[in-house]
Amino acid sequence: MTNNPQQTARVGLFFLLGMALIWVTFETLSGGKLWFKDKGYTLVAGFDSLKELKAGDDVRMAGVKIGDVALTRLAGRRAEAVLRIDSDKRIKADATATIVTQGLIGTGYVSIDLGTDAAPFLPAGGEIRTATSADLNSVMAQLGDLGRKLEGALGGLGTSLNGDSRQPGLLQKVDAILAENRENLSRTTANLQQITDKVNRGEGTLGRLLNDARLHDELLAGVAELKQGATQARGFLTNAEELVAEVKRGRGTLGALVYDQKAADDLKASLASLREVSEQLAQGRGTLGQLLKDDSLVRETRALLKKADRAIDNLDDTGPITAVGVVANGLF
Amino acid sequence: MPNTLSASPASRGTPSVTDRLLTWLPTPVFQVLHGTGSTLLLLGRTLRHVPSLPRQFGRFIEQCHLIGYTTMPIVGILSFFIGSVLALQSGHAGENVGYKQFIGALVGLTMARELGPVMAAVLLAGRVGSAIAAELASMKVYQEVDALETMNIPPERMLVLPRLAAVLTMMPVLTIMADLVGWFGGAIVSKYTHFISIEPASYFANLRQYMDFSDVLNGLIKAEIFGLTVVLVCCNIGLNTRGGPREIGASVTRAVVTSLILILVLDFFVTKALM
Amino acid sequence: MSAAHSTSPLPGAAPAVGITVEGLSKRFGAFEVLRGVSFTVQPGEIFVLMGPSGSGKSVLLKHLVGLERPSSGRTTVAGLDGADPATRERVRMALVFQAGALFNSLSVYDNLALYPREHRLGNEAAIRDRVMRALQILSLENAVQKFPAELSGGMKKRVAIARALVMEPQLLLYDEPTSELDPVMSATITEIIATLRQRYQVTSIVVSHDRDLALAIADRVGILMGGELIFLGPPADLRNPTDPRVADFLNPRIDLEHPRFKHLET
Repeated sequence: MTNNPQQTARVGLFFLLGMALIWVTFETLSGGKLWFKDKGYTLVAGFDSLKELKAGDDVRMAGVKIGDVALTRLAGRRAEAVLRIDSDKRIKADATATIVTQGLIGTGYVSIDLGTDAAPFLPAGGEIRTATSADLNSVMAQLGDLGRKLEGALGGLGTSLNGDSRQPGLLQKVDAILAENRENLSRTTANLQQITDKVNRGEGTLGRLLNDARLHDELLAGVAELKQGATQARGFLTNAEELVAEVKRGRGTLGALVYDQKAADDLKASLASLREVSEQLAQGRGTLGQLLKDDSLVRETRALLKKADRAIDNLDDTGPITAVGVVANGLF
Repeated sequence: MPNTLSASPASRGTPSVTDRLLTWLPTPVFQVLHGTGSTLLLLGRTLRHVPSLPRQFGRFIEQCHLIGYTTMPIVGILSFFIGSVLALQSGHAGENVGYKQFIGALVGLTMARELGPVMAAVLLAGRVGSAIAAELASMKVYQEVDALETMNIPPERMLVLPRLAAVLTMMPVLTIMADLVGWFGGAIVSKYTHFISIEPASYFANLRQYMDFSDVLNGLIKAEIFGLTVVLVCCNIGLNTRGGPREIGASVTRAVVTSLILILVLDFFVTKALM
Repeated sequence: MSAAHSTSPLPGAAPAVGITVEGLSKRFGAFEVLRGVSFTVQPGEIFVLMGPSGSGKSVLLKHLVGLERPSSGRTTVAGLDGADPATRERVRMALVFQAGALFNSLSVYDNLALYPREHRLGNEAAIRDRVMRALQILSLENAVQKFPAELSGGMKKRVAIARALVMEPQLLLYDEPTSELDPVMSATITEIIATLRQRYQVTSIVVSHDRDLALAIADRVGILMGGELIFLGPPADLRNPTDPRVADFLNPRIDLEHPRFKHLET
């Protein structure tokens, strides 16, 4: 039983080729690092919610991957992520970890900022400071909600003021009866017109948000406009209240109004919800401000708004305020 | 001489409780237990002869040649098309969802962790396992195995050990080739399919980004387990053949079918264990 | 024989061995093949075991070399338990299988060289010497590079005997060495068996139903029928058997008026 020397050589060559391929694969995939993954050291980061973070996600410092999430766990009333950091990457004690949610398929990573030079390094197993990042989802949800309410309120107001097919609107009645209030009324209408114009310009900003590189500034400007709109809406509200007060005062002269108690109630309800909208918009300013501070949020906004392409396309033939509702509905 | 399986436990002395329990088992269950047990015993007996492996060098090389060198072309062809079709299918499915750019990682991981080792093992069972079972069954039927035993040459040492050593040596080689050929198949399809059209550079960049050598190693470990199982099972079934030449064919069929089932069953458990 | 040493390595440096079979029984499932068979074989003896097909002769032979384990009773070879694998390491036994059981994947030369190579009996030159000598004894020099599939039935049997000889056995067992051979080849094989014993004093057990062989070379004959030993004695006793079964087995009368198979049917 003697082997053909050629056979032996073939087997030898074949085996060596295989080993060489394994070695090449190893070098390519693991970059020739001595053996497998760097074990590194761990840090603990506590959050109210880990959102979509899961074990295996990246840990990045200034955008550079420095480790990964080893595991996620519930610790008492908070959620903890154990971060495995490459052993040659040191983190300052005053660095802050935030969770960044990225893109539409729900991948996330933990972003750690650089901290300051003066601070000492965090020891292995230490706990890193965390901050809750503005969550685009909640911002947009609030915005959408707001839009819907504003739409409803103004719609109701419109019906009250202009009437529908069945009965003459309150406005007609008021117009007919309250000649002395004409001045007030025209001022109110002018205000309303102004808001609509402003938000119209706001729509333009949203459209440009998709393509324009100077997005950041414009979003800022857009929000400023929104703020202005909110202030004006409040002004309008005051006017409307005056109107109601005047209607109340002039009860005797408003005979028709007395007969139509329902229309009066409608008007009141409309005004109440308008006030609510106005207040919420004022609060929303804070959230929107947060939106502007965070670069990554702007990037995410763009990604999210791309998804809403179709909705934006439909903006042309709807009113500006309805458009916000459409955007909101398209997004969520 | 009819020596039925179910009769053997009770054939000597008073049957123990276990033996009586075994005779009550349904035949298929008994055969599975019998097969498992005899295969493990064969492994044990073979391992005892490991020190004499250097003396089996000639046979070892011969088996390496059969298992590795001559099996490589079919492994290559199959892996190429498996990789290609993986890229094609995921490209097609991912076109709308927008994960096209992940094709590299998808093909890479699937080939390395799953299809590379499994395909190599399946081809091993079909091409080498059947040959082993046929050869040993024929040696058994024509009393060559008996002759070896009277010559005080344990069949495990001469027939099983070189094959086991050869398969353990050659499986990593076959598997890494299957992996790499599959990756290249995927890369080529990704470039030249109009609805995918991803450059090989970005395909491999994506593959490298999401893969670690441990993924490949994982596949190599699997392949070793599959290879060992296939060779051991085929040897065992071959050596346990009884009766005339007709039984050789039956043994080959049984060896290949058993190997294939075991590959896929083991695949599940090994995959879980390695996660 | 003094010639034994000069023709080394073939003749036994170790002495021939004796065999005992004590109350050997073997069952395969419910089928009892051997029923309490007992006999002894002296060292250097030729013992011929005869019997009709299926009487358990081959099974008995397999017990002697440890290929089968007895259901009850025991066999010993040179005083060692035949069922113990260790016995095969202490005593060199060779079994010449009925069909030869040559390794089909190996040439005749490699078939013969397998044993000395596996047991590391000398270098390749010494092994070659040893193999060629065994082939010469059986006049097989021309078949060295042939493969078993290329050999005739008689050649296969001779190669099988040669392969047994290479082992320098202390005990040589033949399973039907003359079956399926023409009369001349049968006679040749018979002569070879006798010659080997004569030259090397190897204990030989021949399973056969060849009456001529038994009468010509056996020291003692046993007849196995239905799993029992019904005759044990020198071949001379076979010429005038007292047991009708033995008489019928050795000289079956062909009676077309009252065919045997009709008896069996009733």
